[in-house]
Amino acid sequence: MSVRKPKVVGFCCEKHGIDSAILAARSGREYDASVRIIKVPCAGRVDGIHILQALEDGADSVFVLGCLEKNCHYDTGSIEGRKRVEYVKSTLADLGIEKERVEMFNASSTMAWKFPEIVSKMVDVARRLGPIGKAGGDR
Amino acid sequence: MTNEVLIIGGGPAGLTTAKSLVDRGANVVLVERSESLGGMARELTCKGLVECRNCGACFAIDRASEVLKEPSVEVFLLSDVVSVKKDEKGFEAKVKVSPRYVTAECIGCGKCVEVCPVDGKAVFPPTGTGMPRTYWIDRRKCLHFKKGECTKCADVCPTKAIDFEDRARNVTRKVSSVVYATGMEPVDACEVSRLGCGTLKDVISSVDAERMLNEKGRLTRPSDGSAPKKIAVMQCVGSRSVKNGVDYCSKFCCKYATKISQLIMDTDPEVNLDFYFMDLRTLYEPQDEFKKWAKDKKTVRLIRSMPAVVQPGKDGKLLVRVPTETDTEVQENEYDMVLLSVGMRPSGAATELAGALGIRTDERGFAIADDELAGQGIHVIGAVSEPMDIEETAVRAMSTAARVATTKEVAK
Amino acid sequence: MKARIQVLACKACTEMPQLLDMDDLMNVASERELVVSSMLVDRVCDSKVIRRVVAEASERDVDRVLVLACQKKDVSPGLLAAYKRAGINEFMVEFVNLRDEVVLPHAGDKERAQAKAETKAVAGLERLLMLQPLEKVEEAMRTKNVVVLGGGAAGRKAAEVAAAQGAHTIIIEKSSTSHKAPGVIMPNSTLLGAKGYGGNFVLSIKAGEKVEELECAAVVIATGGGWAELKGPLAKACKSAVPLYRLHEQMQTGAVPKGPVIIVDTPDPAGKTLAVQDFAWDETLELAIDLKKRQPLEEVYVVFQEMRAFGLSELAYKDAAELGVRFIRYDRAAGPKIDSKEPTKLTVKDLAHGEVLTISIGTLAFAAIPANRDNIGIATALRIPMSPEGGVRRGSIQRWPVSTPRPGVFVCGSAMFPKSKDMAEAEGEAAGLMAGRFAMKGVIEYGGVVAEVAQEKCSACLTCIRTCPYDAPYIGSAGKAEIRIQACQGCGMCVGICPSKAIELRGFTDDQITQETRTMLGGDF
Repeated sequence: MSVRKPKVVGFCCEKHGIDSAILAARSGREYDASVRIIKVPCAGRVDGIHILQALEDGADSVFVLGCLEKNCHYDTGSIEGRKRVEYVKSTLADLGIEKERVEMFNASSTMAWKFPEIVSKMVDVARRLGPIGKAGGDR
Repeated sequence: MTNEVLIIGGGPAGLTTAKSLVDRGANVVLVERSESLGGMARELTCKGLVECRNCGACFAIDRASEVLKEPSVEVFLLSDVVSVKKDEKGFEAKVKVSPRYVTAECIGCGKCVEVCPVDGKAVFPPTGTGMPRTYWIDRRKCLHFKKGECTKCADVCPTKAIDFEDRARNVTRKVSSVVYATGMEPVDACEVSRLGCGTLKDVISSVDAERMLNEKGRLTRPSDGSAPKKIAVMQCVGSRSVKNGVDYCSKFCCKYATKISQLIMDTDPEVNLDFYFMDLRTLYEPQDEFKKWAKDKKTVRLIRSMPAVVQPGKDGKLLVRVPTETDTEVQENEYDMVLLSVGMRPSGAATELAGALGIRTDERGFAIADDELAGQGIHVIGAVSEPMDIEETAVRAMSTAARVATTKEVAK
Repeated sequence: MKARIQVLACKACTEMPQLLDMDDLMNVASERELVVSSMLVDRVCDSKVIRRVVAEASERDVDRVLVLACQKKDVSPGLLAAYKRAGINEFMVEFVNLRDEVVLPHAGDKERAQAKAETKAVAGLERLLMLQPLEKVEEAMRTKNVVVLGGGAAGRKAAEVAAAQGAHTIIIEKSSTSHKAPGVIMPNSTLLGAKGYGGNFVLSIKAGEKVEELECAAVVIATGGGWAELKGPLAKACKSAVPLYRLHEQMQTGAVPKGPVIIVDTPDPAGKTLAVQDFAWDETLELAIDLKKRQPLEEVYVVFQEMRAFGLSELAYKDAAELGVRFIRYDRAAGPKIDSKEPTKLTVKDLAHGEVLTISIGTLAFAAIPANRDNIGIATALRIPMSPEGGVRRGSIQRWPVSTPRPGVFVCGSAMFPKSKDMAEAEGEAAGLMAGRFAMKGVIEYGGVVAEVAQEKCSACLTCIRTCPYDAPYIGSAGKAEIRIQACQGCGMCVGICPSKAIELRGFTDDQITQETRTMLGGDF
């Protein structure tokens, strides 16, 4: 019986968010293929509905990656992104979904180590908790 | 032709000047001695975890990426400016471009390094976060050039990017101005031997700490790889000293060290951190900010005292002997790891080329940024002229670019 | 009109390291509906290849392109330019970064990499079908004016450099004094308000008794520090105390201040009313050394919390100490005090010795550069964030050192943070360069990926207005939000936060994002 592979969605901003992912790749660092990178102009573009829709469409965990706060290319974008993530996290409990499935991260364009670490964390969450609605864990 | 500018040095100073000049419509020739752009910033870690701490490292790296994509900037890596001669129109520069032996097809997978049989390796990735992300072969170490047989890296390279046929070449460029921005080199922490650097494994310099954090995102003890829980950070190692290192203040060390301390505490809130200093010279920040932060974090102590010596302690720990703030007694404090904040010395200020350009150095070895020289079209900027952090370097580079851009003709 | 898609894939980026089967991938892609051209080339960034590719695109009447290669930034700009010339809108060219998002990070996972690459290509095609052509528009900058707020050291340098770029500079100076500077200087003037956006600002200036409107392309904030502000118990107790620059001025005229001269870092050591204790150490040390040289027998004291003589100023510190300047470090808990009953004496506990010293005051000067009180009005008018200490903050370092979050507005000198004249001037030059260049662009390019309000859904809650850092949304004549496209940076913050979902970001609509996510999640890898 094949194990359903984990599904992780990462909304990455087109500035330092994706820069850090690309730097990681260009520094010979590999990460789990389970992550689906969805590029947005800014972490602030991410709406709660995108995160919830992703979970509904099969994502086991979702993260938003933006620039470091106070170094956002659009000034307050990553702070806005964090607000959305926090809001979604607070509503997940009402939906009976574990809060750790949704997370906010920040990175800068010089952090080669960060993106693989983020993916690893979120894949781990996906593996541990399994698909939403099923009695968790890898089968 | 009067728009061409030669920039010697591909660190924050050279890069910012290059981008500023290009935005003004100038053409730039950028010559960098090492294999990648970014200078000291390549090995500086980003000091924020969630919130930016304004260290400037990403600014330099972003400029490096940008400059490589600018059609008006010709970048020569692994290159040296051999000579600069003045002529009627400006300057004629001869540049020796050393072979890299790795083409732009390189994707940075690192397989070549894995198979290289040389002890200490002969093929290397770009330094830190330097750009471009292309590897390079050090001919002096490479077995292929010694015996002509080894082709292990070429055989394993998935993109066939190894090119043993690469040759050195000489290029000549005519420019109207020269910008000298050869930057700095760190003071060797081992110059202050009483603090254990070089002898005690878990005593590392700020340079090492930055490298480690840039690579892995966290500090680990070199002796056993464990995460340190009690850390001492010591300022002014090799700076403000008549006996060791240099007598001036290196300006950026307090800024970087306080921010690294904050990063360390962000990453592991259980760490106990002692910050030893003489004066808290955090730049661009209110004096109190770090002190307030430290007070908030119950496990951070600010100790206004310079440790005398670091000795091996019990169980592989480190013992720091330090006079108390009032100088009345000596304390012995135990740590897992000691971080020595080192200062800087100017680099390349007194080379033959600098001399040929008419660049003089002061008694401390800093290149003198002279108005007269600037009038002749030779501009000295960045840390080679005085200690400065990345942000100040960028500002001074921009103000220089303003002057260079308006110097269309070289004064006779 | 049905879409006509060209799929262009680059071997150089993707086939190596023999991870992806590009032929297979191209087959999958080209079998999709509406793909009329599919080309797998050795190297996209080759001018001959570009010509061939675009020629075929023209021939097949392609209106949108999917490029499977690396990131947009890395692909030769010649490709987009060539497509543009062939009539293909630049916003209809979608880049899928297979190299950095699949090939490199999944080099050890061949099977999954292939499936992922295929899914990305399919998602890219679906996204491409949802895209609309977008236009970038140009608006002429009505002036080449750069307005510099403040005619001090930083401001004058900013004006000089901006003028050297070709801009016309106008210095708005609040005092009546004026120094030599290029362009126009308006004395006795202050900024009241600002409208518009970078490239076409309309400033409201109070000039003497009148209020004038001034159009400009860029603004440089160079208001300096609040040197004249001497608030605090020490200033109150000693009425004759002067700011350091006043002492400096006196000495320029040849007058020698009465000793002992005491330079204290701040008139408010406990920090109750004045948060900023920072100042220009260079100037303080210079002055102290000068004083000692002129009157070697008179005492000079420098009383401070932190001895912040950075860099080479450290050497001035040594020189000053050698000349006999007495440096006294204090702690906030036991700071310098002047008893109002004995206003000629300053007492302070010297941390180095632990002794309490009593010094007779000959001349008392404060070195602090508090924030300029005018900053509040200026920051409010220009909608720029301020630092907690009352300075005008610079924006993200991503936007470069002397810039603010608002395009076209720059800041330099002690208006940001207390600093020495030398550094303030360097920043002035940097800001002048950026402002001058900005103004000389002559046009504001805008449009493309920008926000758009569906008025019928808008509930005029003002959330977008409060969220946008660029002053792009506003309540229009219909009582609903509208977007000032010239100011819109395309970040989408307002779109993400709008509670009524009334705003869309062209090129990154909710449908486009959720569709892409859905397709990617559907991929079996």
